[in-house]
Amino acid sequence: MSVLFPRWMNAFPTVSAGIAAGGLVSAVVGTWYWATPDFWEVGYMPTQPGGGFNHQLHSGKLGMDCRYCHTNVEDSYHSNVPTVSTCMGCHTEGKLAPEYDPGVELVGFIREAYAEDESIPWRKVHHLPGYVGHFPHHMHVRAGVSCYSCHGQIVGMPVVYQAESLSMGWCLDCHRNPEEHIVGPSRVTDLVWVEEHLAERERNPGNATPEAQAIIDALHASKAEGGPQNCGACHH
Amino acid sequence: MSSLDQCPSTKGKKDPKADPASSVNGNSPQGKAMWRSLDEFAGSGEFQPFLEREFPSGASELLKSSRRTFMQIMGGAVALAGAATLPGCRRPDHKIMTYSREVPEEVIPGKPLFYASAMPLPGGGAEGVLVRSNVGRPTFVEGNPRHSVSQGSSSSWSIASILSLYDPDRLKQPVFRTAEQERDATWDDFRAWSAGHFAEFDATNGQGLVILADQMTSPTRDAVRDRLRARWPLAQFIAYDPTGRDNKVNGLRLAFGQPHGELLSLENADVIVSVDADPTRYESASLKNSRGFGAARRLDSTSDTMCRIYAAECNYTPLGGMADHREVVAPSRLPVVVVEIAKRVLAATGADVDLLRRLNAWDARGGSPVSVEWLDAVAEDLVEAGGRGVLIAGQTLPAEAHALVAAVNRALGAVDTTVSYVPLDPEAAKDGVGEIAELVGGMRRGRVKTCVVLNCNPCYDLPTELGFEEAFKAVSNRIVLSEGPSETAAHATWQLNAATYLESWGDVAAADGGVSTIQPLIAPLYDGALSEIELLALIAAERDPAEFDVQPAGYDLVRDVWAGRFDWSDFETNWKRTLQNGFAAGTGSSGTEGISNASVLYRNTAELLGNLRPGAEPTDGALDVVVTINNMYDGRYANLPWLQELPQFGTMVCWDNPALMSPRTAERFGLTPDPYEVKIPKAQMATITVDGRSVDMPVWIMPGMAENTVVLTQGYGRRVCGVVGTGVGFDVQPIRDTSGTRVYTNATVSPAQGKYPISSTQNHWSMESRTSIVRTADLPAYQKHGDEKVKKKDSYGESWKIGFGEMLGELAHTPPNISIYENPYNESQADAAEGSWYSERPQWGVSIDLSLCMGCGACTVACQSENNIPSVGKTEVRKGREMTWLRVDRYFTGDPYSSGSEGPGQLYHQPVACVHCENAPCETVCPVNATVHGPTGLNYMVYNRCIGTRYCANNCPYKVRRFNFFDYGVKRINGGYRDEIPEGTPKPNNINLIPPRLREKLAEIQKMKMNPDVTVRSRGVMEKCTYCIQRINAARYEAKLQDLENIPDGFFQSACHSACATGAIVFGDILDESSRVAKAKKDGRDYALLGYLNTRPRTTYKVAIGNPNPKLREPVVDPFHHHDSHGGDSHGGDSHGGDSGSAEAAGASFLDPFKKNSDDGYAVSLRVLGAATGVHA
Repeated sequence: MSVLFPRWMNAFPTVSAGIAAGGLVSAVVGTWYWATPDFWEVGYMPTQPGGGFNHQLHSGKLGMDCRYCHTNVEDSYHSNVPTVSTCMGCHTEGKLAPEYDPGVELVGFIREAYAEDESIPWRKVHHLPGYVGHFPHHMHVRAGVSCYSCHGQIVGMPVVYQAESLSMGWCLDCHRNPEEHIVGPSRVTDLVWVEEHLAERERNPGNATPEAQAIIDALHASKAEGGPQNCGACHH
Repeated sequence: MSSLDQCPSTKGKKDPKADPASSVNGNSPQGKAMWRSLDEFAGSGEFQPFLEREFPSGASELLKSSRRTFMQIMGGAVALAGAATLPGCRRPDHKIMTYSREVPEEVIPGKPLFYASAMPLPGGGAEGVLVRSNVGRPTFVEGNPRHSVSQGSSSSWSIASILSLYDPDRLKQPVFRTAEQERDATWDDFRAWSAGHFAEFDATNGQGLVILADQMTSPTRDAVRDRLRARWPLAQFIAYDPTGRDNKVNGLRLAFGQPHGELLSLENADVIVSVDADPTRYESASLKNSRGFGAARRLDSTSDTMCRIYAAECNYTPLGGMADHREVVAPSRLPVVVVEIAKRVLAATGADVDLLRRLNAWDARGGSPVSVEWLDAVAEDLVEAGGRGVLIAGQTLPAEAHALVAAVNRALGAVDTTVSYVPLDPEAAKDGVGEIAELVGGMRRGRVKTCVVLNCNPCYDLPTELGFEEAFKAVSNRIVLSEGPSETAAHATWQLNAATYLESWGDVAAADGGVSTIQPLIAPLYDGALSEIELLALIAAERDPAEFDVQPAGYDLVRDVWAGRFDWSDFETNWKRTLQNGFAAGTGSSGTEGISNASVLYRNTAELLGNLRPGAEPTDGALDVVVTINNMYDGRYANLPWLQELPQFGTMVCWDNPALMSPRTAERFGLTPDPYEVKIPKAQMATITVDGRSVDMPVWIMPGMAENTVVLTQGYGRRVCGVVGTGVGFDVQPIRDTSGTRVYTNATVSPAQGKYPISSTQNHWSMESRTSIVRTADLPAYQKHGDEKVKKKDSYGESWKIGFGEMLGELAHTPPNISIYENPYNESQADAAEGSWYSERPQWGVSIDLSLCMGCGACTVACQSENNIPSVGKTEVRKGREMTWLRVDRYFTGDPYSSGSEGPGQLYHQPVACVHCENAPCETVCPVNATVHGPTGLNYMVYNRCIGTRYCANNCPYKVRRFNFFDYGVKRINGGYRDEIPEGTPKPNNINLIPPRLREKLAEIQKMKMNPDVTVRSRGVMEKCTYCIQRINAARYEAKLQDLENIPDGFFQSACHSACATGAIVFGDILDESSRVAKAKKDGRDYALLGYLNTRPRTTYKVAIGNPNPKLREPVVDPFHHHDSHGGDSHGGDSHGGDSGSAEAAGASFLDPFKKNSDDGYAVSLRVLGAATGVHA
């Protein structure tokens, strides 16, 4: 028999079993890590038309409230992207003092679009598939879920990118544990405060504001023991 | 009956198939069997396997494919997959396009707006509508609750009108044609040409100018027309209706001396006698009449009363199908019925001696077609009801009979309670077809220089014998304004694209004279399309042509007319209020001028009697032919797939208009269609000839029709139409004569070469031969037992209580199935029990009253529109693949081969959609949890989880789940019967009718129709009724925004509820004590379809109650025959009359003041809130 197989063949079963096991483990781990919205979706940062819109400058440095532009967030499913005329409220030529005017290279595309009455093709960053119906912004804002919880620290983003995975599991995490994210409707757009407050609450649970605590308690007392978790709440 | 479900006590005792008298579907109160087709009635051996298959054989297969074609397809698919997946790795780039400088303030993206408008009905009249607009796109049409005709409901025409807006086949720009060439033009070209051309008529006073238009009751169009006539007195403006509806108008003009219209108020009626009348369909007041029927017929408690309906007719109509006593009479003998009734009524009331004398002397030319007992009973009932009785005659009757009907109603004292005679504009009463007939000769001889055709299609819809098409070609300038391609537009020298009523300003008067504004929801989709009034104004050169570019001229035209017409002190405020409400307050008359002098009416009628000559009873060699209309009207709706695919009333045929005959007549001529045997049957072709004019058509049988009578339907066989409508069905115009009448006698029928495939859904979605599907009873039975709760006990000691409705089904003698599976959501057997998931408001449910459903199908179309449900085409329907979530099952009763009391009697209609079982059989078999239950009692369907195993559809006892065998939702509908037309069939092939696999994708414009709140489903996905979950969620959010603790009743409605004109379908929160659905379910008539399977459906039905005249048929007072046949003791413990009187009286009819006020509660509803009224600021 020794003629047929060399000696090193004795190790073959062990080695091949090891390789197979390793391959399996890496396949599982690889799928777990890479084949998820956490990997593919988070960090999506498309280039916006013209000079883009600098959230860090407008809502961070200048302190504009989110609702100055996203006006319908409390009334409708959609949190609307502002119309060109909203931009022109400040950026009409000669309206801002020369030292504050960003100049034609940054806002020229707005003035052009306005003059032509054409829309600016903003590229959508946060996208949900069609079968999810709509994400009801108005209900979430009303329940005191901050913009921060889904969109991240927008006031620190010169260019907006997707900060969370927006996967169904991620939605359900919050609907099952609303106490981790509800800050109360009055301060939903105060993103800097929200970030610190939520970090603080993670360290010392049960430290919610009275307004938020009332909503959290009501949600826990409801049949769903949290936000709605039935399929029909989102899929139709 | 499958043996599993069979009552243990009947097992082995009785085979229902052997005894047709005990039908599986249910029994009429007389014990007549219920059946859906002749094959089901006969219970033939071959038919059973057909029913038991969920789909006919071959339905799940791709095509007739060989290995070779399979390889071709798969090869292509693999290549495409490679090419398609690579770019798929990149994230698709979605754009957000916002408004720019011009921002409509009232638009909030995500919130629909509702605008009040009106849809002009074909042939005159209007329907008040609310149109939903999603960010500027009209997507749904529903009834305006404050409009006097629609009263919140809508017809399938208005619902489907949204499709004609987005029809990709619409004309898109003007086209100029000469004999040599055809070229695309612009509206500017036309304006330049027309300014010069029409000025030439000033010299001749308009000699040689003819304008043809559709009958339309528009004050502004009338005003523009009058101005045109003032400028060119010799020009002819002819409005016509090609469907032969002149008889009633002519009759009433003769009777009163002045043109009058008939306006019914059926809600006041106790006795309705219909002689071939069809007041609830295709008429200007149809919705009002359906509402009235619903109010007169509905029962809210055992102390309530209902009207009684008699009908004598040649074919089933919705009203006749609901009749308590129905007689079948050949069309030529129908006048005799009117005269016989008139004789008896006048004798009993003593209204006019002279008329009575003439009636008695009248020559009936043969015996009475109905029995003397029937006539006596009808007349006696009518006289007893007096002012609350009404006699209605249909368009098949001659004008003189209509005059006589008016005299009878006057003698009864019914005028102004159940019927009013409203003065009619003499223009609207003109005989347009007659005027055209006179004109044709002149056209041929070249006396007409210019012919303008406004939104009508005379080259197709007029009788061929008139020869209009040839004459039209002889006119040198042919200007045709049309929304879509048509036979007339194809011959035009100037083919102009018209704006639909959703794109233009206008106004229109409803049947009661109430005037509505039509306001545009969207700018014309194609190159400055004009409406009728705008084109007329352009022709008359009333305005500078340049103005039409900038300003919607229609607005000015309408406003000017209204400013002259209404003496409003503050025009601006009233105008705006009119636009907001959709109609002008204070318009609409119920006046009865002309009838005050009854003796004139009687005298006129008596004189007319001499002209009333009935034909002889039709025979084998001399048949009667009736030309009727259906949803296609005169063919103008042929390109709307929803209407083509809506199963037609009675026959359940889609995509065709076969000639209808009674089973015996068809048998005698050897024209009976193939029987249903696994394969789908084909119809025989026949030649139908009248006076040498003939058509070749397939023949379909319709039980309950008069013998030796053929019913034809116009509006099919369009030669030039869009891809959907071209070549669908057969054109019957060749058989009509120049008078355009509906009834012809002395016809002959002979078999012709070939067979023709017909798609009928009558045997689709069979409920596996389960029992007691439709339950019926007579009024006295309901009055006696309706409030009883019967205690039942089974041998295991379990006891339960059941009401009247359940006593008519299995639960009367067998205990409900108990699930051994512990449903986590149910902690009790009772609905929405304390402590269960279902105890928290809201809990959604539906109640459907089978007494009120007439089978019009508006709910099906509304559901299709709201939920983005695709049409699939004729061949696909034949394979049982229709996608409509809501079907309306139709059941015949009686013996199709007999006549009289044994023959076909009442029709029963049962709308069936997903019933949302609390113990849903579909949920337990889904391997991927794609269908699960929600806390509000909804059975969810999660499309993205579905992998298409179809187990759920298999396990659904109601057969309400629909499967996307192909990408129907994103492909254009082109029908599909190209391969199946046999050689020698005289039928033009429609090359566009192609199988779904090969269909093109939806045009961009068609996608605009889609409801953005509902997913468009793709291939391989199961779907079904969701109770309009998108509306539920929107209402849930809106209620929270308004800090409402609960969603109030009427805050929103499901699409089917909002469309239903008779009020049969009621949707709402069953835990809300004050809601209409909770009250409806409390009634003793409530029963759960297949409830003994312990599915606990949320949609329940109410027993259909009949109100027979004891003189004609003794009502069945104790209908529990099934129970009695067991002797009652085998199950033990039965005790009748346990808790009587538990059902509370739940308000009165829809139209009474109390109810009307509560309906005004819609003022806080979503659709009004969403409207630009500033309520929700």
